[in-house]
Amino acid sequence: MENILIEPWELDALMPELFVPEYIEKIASEVLTHYDFSAQSMQVMATKPARGGAIWKVETSAGPKSLKLLHRRPTRSLFSLGAQEYLVEVQKARVPAIVKTKDGSNYVEAGGKLWFVAEWIEPLAPASKDLEGTKHLCRAIGEFHRLSKGYEPPKHAEIATRLHKWPKNFEKIITKMDWLRNIAYAYPEMPASSHLLQAVDVFEQQAIQGLERLNQSSYSDLVAKGNAYWGLVHQDYGWSNGQMGSDGMWIIDLDGVAFDLPIRDLRKLITNKMIDNSQWDATWVREMIKAYHEVNPISAEVYDILMIELSFPNEFYKHLKGAIFEPELFLNEEAVQLIQMIINLDQTKWPVLEEIKDDWIGVEAR
Amino acid sequence: MKILMICTEKLPMPPIRGGAIQTYIAGILPYLKQSHDITILGTDDPSLPDNEIIDGVSYVRVPGKLLEIYKEGVVRYLESNQFDLIHIFNRPRLVLPVRSVAPKAKITLSMHNDMFNAEKIDPIEAEAALNEVSRIVTVSDYVGNVIKSLYPQATGKVQTIYSGVDTERFLPGSHPNMKKIRQDVRQAHGLENKTVILYAGRLSRNKGVDRLIRALPELSKKYKDLALVIVGSKWFSQDAVTDYIAYVRALAKKSPIPVVTTGFVAPSEIQNWFAAADLFVCTSIWPEPLARVHYEAMATGLPIVTTARGGNAEVIRLRENGLVVENPEDPGQFVEKITEVLSDKAMMKRMGQRGRELALSHYKWNRVASEVLTVWEQTKQTAVSVGTAETPMELTASQSKTAETISFITDRVDKSTEKQVKTQKQKNKKKRITTENQKVTEKSATTKNQKVVEKPAIVENQKAIEKPAIVENQKAMENKKQVAGLTRANLDELIIAHHMLMNARNKKNNQSNRTMNGRSNRNNRNRELLNMLLREFGKNA
Repeated sequence: MENILIEPWELDALMPELFVPEYIEKIASEVLTHYDFSAQSMQVMATKPARGGAIWKVETSAGPKSLKLLHRRPTRSLFSLGAQEYLVEVQKARVPAIVKTKDGSNYVEAGGKLWFVAEWIEPLAPASKDLEGTKHLCRAIGEFHRLSKGYEPPKHAEIATRLHKWPKNFEKIITKMDWLRNIAYAYPEMPASSHLLQAVDVFEQQAIQGLERLNQSSYSDLVAKGNAYWGLVHQDYGWSNGQMGSDGMWIIDLDGVAFDLPIRDLRKLITNKMIDNSQWDATWVREMIKAYHEVNPISAEVYDILMIELSFPNEFYKHLKGAIFEPELFLNEEAVQLIQMIINLDQTKWPVLEEIKDDWIGVEAR
Repeated sequence: MKILMICTEKLPMPPIRGGAIQTYIAGILPYLKQSHDITILGTDDPSLPDNEIIDGVSYVRVPGKLLEIYKEGVVRYLESNQFDLIHIFNRPRLVLPVRSVAPKAKITLSMHNDMFNAEKIDPIEAEAALNEVSRIVTVSDYVGNVIKSLYPQATGKVQTIYSGVDTERFLPGSHPNMKKIRQDVRQAHGLENKTVILYAGRLSRNKGVDRLIRALPELSKKYKDLALVIVGSKWFSQDAVTDYIAYVRALAKKSPIPVVTTGFVAPSEIQNWFAAADLFVCTSIWPEPLARVHYEAMATGLPIVTTARGGNAEVIRLRENGLVVENPEDPGQFVEKITEVLSDKAMMKRMGQRGRELALSHYKWNRVASEVLTVWEQTKQTAVSVGTAETPMELTASQSKTAETISFITDRVDKSTEKQVKTQKQKNKKKRITTENQKVTEKSATTKNQKVVEKPAIVENQKAIEKPAIVENQKAMENKKQVAGLTRANLDELIIAHHMLMNARNKKNNQSNRTMNGRSNRNNRNRELLNMLLREFGKNA
């Protein structure tokens, strides 16, 4: 078993949805022997077959635990595990505590990957989808950001940071707009191609302007403050990874945390919620930002970056990338409607951004 | 001399998993070991022992993959092993740690990428490292120019040594050894009676093969017999399809010209695909140091169309062995240059032959090895210089003698070269005589004389093509100022300009803000290291 390397696995129609290959189940049982508790039963709760990751809920003599097989490179996983430990041990954040192995380690290395056990938090219930619930989510992620400041990764961990990568990411999206255009040119017979061609110019311009605004903003001064100053973003935050427990909001699934300007999590939460609501609404956006600001104050400079992020056409590519992967399936009549929806939604965004753009004028930096 | 060559932390030596740097080392090793006692320190690998001796060369393997971990292994090894000279490949960040445990050894560096850029190495550490190394050899003038523009004090230490290729393995498709292979490969992939354009490289955005695929519809209007072969892994990959690969696949699917994709090809078999092709195209849109594929295409006798990015164009003599696309963002320019090559079959053939000639005369491994050996010999003769930049290298009579002695050694390994070197010498002589008639001063004639021994004559030609990095940057900066009416054409330049700006800003900010960030810890550690070094050796300076 020592030499087996865990690989992504493929699913076929006959397999249960949460299928995990037997050799990985075996390694999982072996991993559990490194812990003080005895496992009574275990159940797969989630899988990432394409990347080779899985989560089990384990009933043990010491209560319910989660066992996770982290799909990332071990050195990358060390970064996330260090963060989780820092948040719980040093900052007392409402994040599941890592259960140590018999010899006091945070993890077990097996099959070329890192595994770890954490407390299973019960009960947890999703926050409501209304404005109040949404604001809970905003406050919780603000608190998470605030508490994650000062994190120093362990010595052998890869430093996961997106702090300096904003311009590069903006550029990538601009490039990908051109990809969409070229695909539409290459597949003129598909119903959505002409619509895509019409739409892409507008969104490409938005992206180019976004990059220009970023270059003129205080972005580079802000990122110069460094990783530890800003703390960590969750990167996958929403109604499932932020949930209400008996004593407040808990944040789970920290595997993807990375150093970044924290408002990126907030931006995603806002845009996703506006898509969910099918239109942009100034009151919602303002209330969400304010709720966040209460726990992790936003300076005028950071607010400016948030406005740039909100104006950037992140969603356009995200929703249309299927055109690149399978143009002949994707660019059908439904895609015509999808493009129309994105355009409609986008048209409600600009008046909102215009309305709130000066809200932070005069707000002093911390 | 007792010499340690330190590889990067990524791929093991010998190059069982490929890698440009690993190939380079393997190429020159047979010559180097003739005159020196060589140890290769590299990353460990599940399929290789941690210590072994192969053909008289010691291999030591320590845990790698991550530089931080590798660094510890390197330092630990050097604590109990001494060398006269330590040659570090592409990792300036290893220089200070190495110096801390090897106070007396000469250190030389081989630079294969822009690893001196501010995001790769902190400027303070970079400057300290530059002080510690005697010489820096780069794989292209481009790589050297970037280092010099960032750190002018390094100027006297930097020298280009172009890489090489195994001209016995990469052979023209018409060569008796390859005829059948060419035929078989073409037959197996429906390429008989086709004019085959070859692309070999990673399928990634900055390698730009999408531009070539977008050029195909236009080319197909002019030439009915074309086919494109893309050699590169991951094309068929199921679980790791990046957006880019999906994009390129979707474009290729609609191509009016057949696109043959090979998937993963073992490094040991790649020459077969070269031999099956008729034209080689490199599409890089990033400032590439100088891709090995150019040497391989030349050795195979393929005309080359490459891009004016980074160092790639340095090995192209316009219309002699290839053409250069000035703006690779524009598929139209590939149409233009490829058409120019294909439209004149006689020229196409001449270009291929000239490429093969150049590979034989300039780009064989023995020439690379001989230049590396010369650098080592010269390093041996220079005094330790802590804190002072050495004077620009000037070849003295005694040094060229050393080079000759070394060529003698290397020629023993590869006798066949001698003849080619001679022919080249004669050719150069002829050329010199004609130029001398045109009022060339005696001084330049002597310089050229040395170059015959020291450097391939091609260097002179390159100067004409090569644009200094700084000029390019300025141009990009100017473009940045006029972004208002931005079009696709100058977008990439905007992106480059932006990188420049960010680098400059980061550099500034890192200097003024050293206490806040994660980098500060590294800086502090570096400073400690530096202070320690200065305590120990600095007083001598």
